[in-house]
Amino acid sequence: MRRDFVKGVLVFLLLVGFSAAFCLQSAGAQEKKPIIIGGSLPLTGEFAETAKWIKLGMEYWGQEVNKKGGLLGRPVEFKIYDDESNANKAVTFAEKAITVDKVDLLFGGYPGTAARAVMPVAEKHKYVYVSMGGHMKSFEQGYTYCFGGPPLMGEWWYEGFFLWLNSLPPEQRPKRAALYTMNNPIGASLMSSLYTWLKKLGIEIVIDEKYNLPLPDATPLVVKAKQMNCDILFSNGFFDDGVMTIRAAKALDYNPKAIVQGIGSVIPAWIKELGPDGDYVFSGTSLYNKLKYPGNDQLNAYVKEKFNLPGYPVYFGFGYCWMQVLAQGVEGAGGLDQTKIRDWLKSHEVHSIAGPMKFDAKGLPAPINFCTQIQNGKVELIWPKDQATAEPIYPKPAWKK
Amino acid sequence: MNTVLLVQSLIGGIIMGSVYALLGVGFSLTWGVMRVIHISHAAFGLIAAFVAYGCLQRWGIDPIASLVFMVPLLFCCACFVYRFLILPVTKAREVIVSSMILTFGIAIIVENIMLLIWGPDPRLITTWYTSRVFIVGPFYFQYAPVAGFVMAVAGVGVIHLFLKKTYTGKAVRAAWQQSDAAQLYGVNLTRISMITFGLAVGSAGAGGVGLALLYSFEPHAHNLWLIYLFLVVIVGGVGNVLGTAAAGVLIGIITGLSLAFLPYQWVNPLTFGLLMAVLAVRPHGLFRSEV
Repeated sequence: MRRDFVKGVLVFLLLVGFSAAFCLQSAGAQEKKPIIIGGSLPLTGEFAETAKWIKLGMEYWGQEVNKKGGLLGRPVEFKIYDDESNANKAVTFAEKAITVDKVDLLFGGYPGTAARAVMPVAEKHKYVYVSMGGHMKSFEQGYTYCFGGPPLMGEWWYEGFFLWLNSLPPEQRPKRAALYTMNNPIGASLMSSLYTWLKKLGIEIVIDEKYNLPLPDATPLVVKAKQMNCDILFSNGFFDDGVMTIRAAKALDYNPKAIVQGIGSVIPAWIKELGPDGDYVFSGTSLYNKLKYPGNDQLNAYVKEKFNLPGYPVYFGFGYCWMQVLAQGVEGAGGLDQTKIRDWLKSHEVHSIAGPMKFDAKGLPAPINFCTQIQNGKVELIWPKDQATAEPIYPKPAWKK
Repeated sequence: MNTVLLVQSLIGGIIMGSVYALLGVGFSLTWGVMRVIHISHAAFGLIAAFVAYGCLQRWGIDPIASLVFMVPLLFCCACFVYRFLILPVTKAREVIVSSMILTFGIAIIVENIMLLIWGPDPRLITTWYTSRVFIVGPFYFQYAPVAGFVMAVAGVGVIHLFLKKTYTGKAVRAAWQQSDAAQLYGVNLTRISMITFGLAVGSAGAGGVGLALLYSFEPHAHNLWLIYLFLVVIVGGVGNVLGTAAAGVLIGIITGLSLAFLPYQWVNPLTFGLLMAVLAVRPHGLFRSEV
């Protein structure tokens, strides 16, 4: 009887021991189970080159986080699908990541068309989605889980430029503006700020024309602007039509006080292919490697060492920054509950390489835009003054023949 | 009337249309003579543009001068493609459909090769004469587009003379007009078709370089060029060399006039509306469809 009792106690103790060991092991496994961050990027097709940098930026963020012990003490892992530069596929992969893979977090997609298409999916499944968005309209749909951190907003593109122009004495500002804009949603997104600011600054809009892409010939545009004595030219187009306009302006010796080229001039090919003819063009950006916010130097040092580049490409920064914002939401919420992450992001200020951001009900920070000007084949920050890397060159010097 | 704006717009339009015509002539020939709709035609033109860009960057060879070796090179490549890919398809029951599918595949492969070699970034040809102009009264003529125009006139002229004056050219025309009779007279159809295809692709190279003098380009640009090819060939009449050239100029004039007098966003709808109107009124094009 006593022997049976001892046996029973031993068996009980063994079982308790095993159970405890199993529980501890499970807890350990649970503790180290990676946080999966899923979604898609256009790794092949038309937008592959840009997306490659977004992916590298995200992965660099992941490396850094894992080195410091992970997010919420867990390592982070990416599950990245290739949407082949197709917004419909981006939607399919977002659905798959959420419903099949049951990822812990979603990462932001690219380009704006894909991000705009994924936003309702994220909202439907109540997943926080930090991305560039697809201009202002995409943030005006009543979504509550979507954040632009930072967004790429046509509506804000010239904000920095106009703030700088506003700082000039009125007599130094241009008087007559020519607006040539590509006829698509990106071009249309630039217009509201142009109308508002030009009116505020007392600059008359003499020409306001839209053109369909591809632009067959920029000569008539420049002839008109020259004939009408426009002393500021807004060329609101992509690379192809942008370079045609610049070349026609040079050929016809049209030399306004300022040329503002919205989208085409921000890609590296502008400087590489146009050379000195691309100089003095103004534009804007919501992120740049010369910003003086914490973290930019570290990123620049990394790309210098890893890719031998003087500064990080802007989309490397975007990939990094979107993850930086999402991670602060996760840490602030203290877990992976999407609603808590959302609520934390809506109620706190986040700090990023693009500067501090506080999101409003739409998921947008206060307008972010830094005015840039190309000088001697380099993109320089002109405005705001605390971030400026060079003084603006204005009025534009004559063309070098 | 604003004469300066009108004339400048017309000059730009005519130059653009002429260069598209040079690219389109070969497309028209393969369609007319061989019943092959060569979807990768513009992609070969784009390769020429990239090679010309590379030669200029690396060795300083002028893009127009690079055509001296580029056209024969493309001719040889095209003969190879014809012998091993196109020829089997020409024996299919539905040559047009089969050739479209095949050459669509070739276009995708060529595009991806270009992406692999040159990457997706846009390129711009900048020569010593790129931004130079000569001024006649109030009018500005840019050297580079004018060079493209001269190339187009010369290219179309050479192809026209080849078809009209040489024995091989006459054999090409005979093969187009009466292939059975031509064979009875000893014309080797396979050889003639191969020469036609080679000539077409060679001219695509010249057209590609011509367009590169006017516009920036990247590996996807051939898709856009192809749309204009269909436009000039359908308006000009399939297989009609001078018709294609005339269609190019006509489209250029319409574009130029539109740019001068209409809101710019109407230019493309008007140009492609013209295509629909031509097809509705003259389904075989404005000009007689023959070589």
